[in-house]
Amino acid sequence: MTSDISVVALSVQIALVATTVTLPVGMLLAWLLVRKNFRGKFVLDVFVSLPLALPPVVVGYALLWLVGTNGWIGRLSESVFGSTLAFTWIAAALAAAIVSLPLVVRSFAASLAGVDPRLEVAARGLGAGSIRTLLTITLPLAYRGVIAGVLLGFVRALSEFGATIIVAGNIPGRTQTLPSAIFTRISAGDTGDAWRLALVSVVLGVIALAVHNWLLKRTATGISSSNGGSR
Amino acid sequence: MISFDIQLNRPEFSLSAKGEFDDGITAVFGPSGAGKSSLLNCLAGSIKPSDGSVTLGGTTLYSGSRGVWVSPEKRRIGTVYQDGALFPHLSVRKNIEFGWKLLQEDQRRLDPVEIADLLGLTYLLHRPPNELSGGERQRVAIARALATSPALLLLDEPLASLDAARRGSILNYLKRVHTEFNMPMIYVSHSVSEVVSIASSAMLLKDGVVKGFDRPSALLLGAASAGDEFESFDNILDGVIGDSTDHLTTVIVGDVNISTRHQNKNLGDRVVVSLGANQIILASSEPKNLSARNILKGIVSEIWSNTGKVFTEIDIGEKFIVELTENALNDLGIAVGQNVFLVFKSSSVDVYDA
Repeated sequence: MTSDISVVALSVQIALVATTVTLPVGMLLAWLLVRKNFRGKFVLDVFVSLPLALPPVVVGYALLWLVGTNGWIGRLSESVFGSTLAFTWIAAALAAAIVSLPLVVRSFAASLAGVDPRLEVAARGLGAGSIRTLLTITLPLAYRGVIAGVLLGFVRALSEFGATIIVAGNIPGRTQTLPSAIFTRISAGDTGDAWRLALVSVVLGVIALAVHNWLLKRTATGISSSNGGSR
Repeated sequence: MISFDIQLNRPEFSLSAKGEFDDGITAVFGPSGAGKSSLLNCLAGSIKPSDGSVTLGGTTLYSGSRGVWVSPEKRRIGTVYQDGALFPHLSVRKNIEFGWKLLQEDQRRLDPVEIADLLGLTYLLHRPPNELSGGERQRVAIARALATSPALLLLDEPLASLDAARRGSILNYLKRVHTEFNMPMIYVSHSVSEVVSIASSAMLLKDGVVKGFDRPSALLLGAASAGDEFESFDNILDGVIGDSTDHLTTVIVGDVNISTRHQNKNLGDRVVVSLGANQIILASSEPKNLSARNILKGIVSEIWSNTGKVFTEIDIGEKFIVELTENALNDLGIAVGQNVFLVFKSSSVDVYDA
């Protein structure tokens, strides 16, 4: 039972860190993809969404190479911390972040695309700089979609298995997350334990998705009422 | 005063416009796709031209050759968009105060309270934009732009999404804003009637090139008579409600009394009168025994005649534009300086709240 709690706690910790990374990165990427026209936009779009199309195992393998002694992240962390990130919970968080990023970017992009760009142009014309425009116009109008994207990313990070087990392994107490713990218990034939953890996954997933759907519904009605101007 | 020399090259479109506008109300007129909005965006700084320069009151806002670029939020140019572009998550008051709050104390030349009062918005300051009518929304957009104490106000087809009843009213508010706050304006439109009603000069833009710069009526009616496709012309005039009988109401426009259908309005109410140029009959001698309630004597002050339509401007104290055919012009022998009579039915006149 105590090991169950530590598994859930570590999973939530990893998912939270992953989400903290994807929030600003996803916002920047969504903004680039929706509001900017530049050379290589198509390539960026494909690259951001690629983890969605690849087996997570492949993502994990690529990441393992990056954080290993031969990759630039590995060399950087070796010179700073004295060791690589491979088989640490940080690597697990990184894996979860990369795999959930496409969902986060897509969700942000959809909500950003729902904000009339002329409102941003209008704000600039009224004297607001680009940062102030983002904070006072764009984000307040897109915030439900942003929160929904964060939740979706969190759920995806929480359920990440394939990439995580390659790059972070399955070390109890250190890198063993909810999915990898369930995998271990199924492999060992501890079906009761496996079911108990599976139930925890279901509960966490249902809560996050319910909030996510509720927010999306609110967004949809919010948009329709702001456009219905015939009253 | 704003002067510009703008070159904008886009794959599908190019704009080449040079001009100098005084502190009055200047119209930029042309069919859709002529480059009117692109020109405004270049002046406001939401589009960077390919080359050229923009100077506002002695300050260079853009210079391609000298590499000067002032970002839109520092230009002190207010813009009013077609459907207002109000911030849907902010109340009317917060919309109006959005730009005003960003100003330094000493730059706050115009007071939001005063602006809201002038534009008749005081009673709806607490409403969200989605509870406003189209006309109210445009007034809020005008107020929001004015509250930044701009050196110049740009209006991009501000009446395009409004019905006729609201248009005259907003035109009136804009005229009031211009006189009250001494606010230079650039008014973009594809409506001849609006432009002639509000602007003191006009630039005609077509296919991204300046085709003329003149008095609005001279420029636009000249172009219309030359066969350019424009919507029909309406005379839009300010008036005051005079006496009423059971069936007719007199509207006083300047020194002229116009008979209209009975209006449910009070003596002295300010109104806007709209009369189609093709609803007026021209007579070279005073007609007798007519059912039409309006027979007004005037002098022909201008004629635009080309291969297509003919427009005449008749001065009866107020200036009215009358559309007629080439045949009628020749048969009546109408010439500038001649006395004529305008004839129109009271039911041809539309009267709107000012």
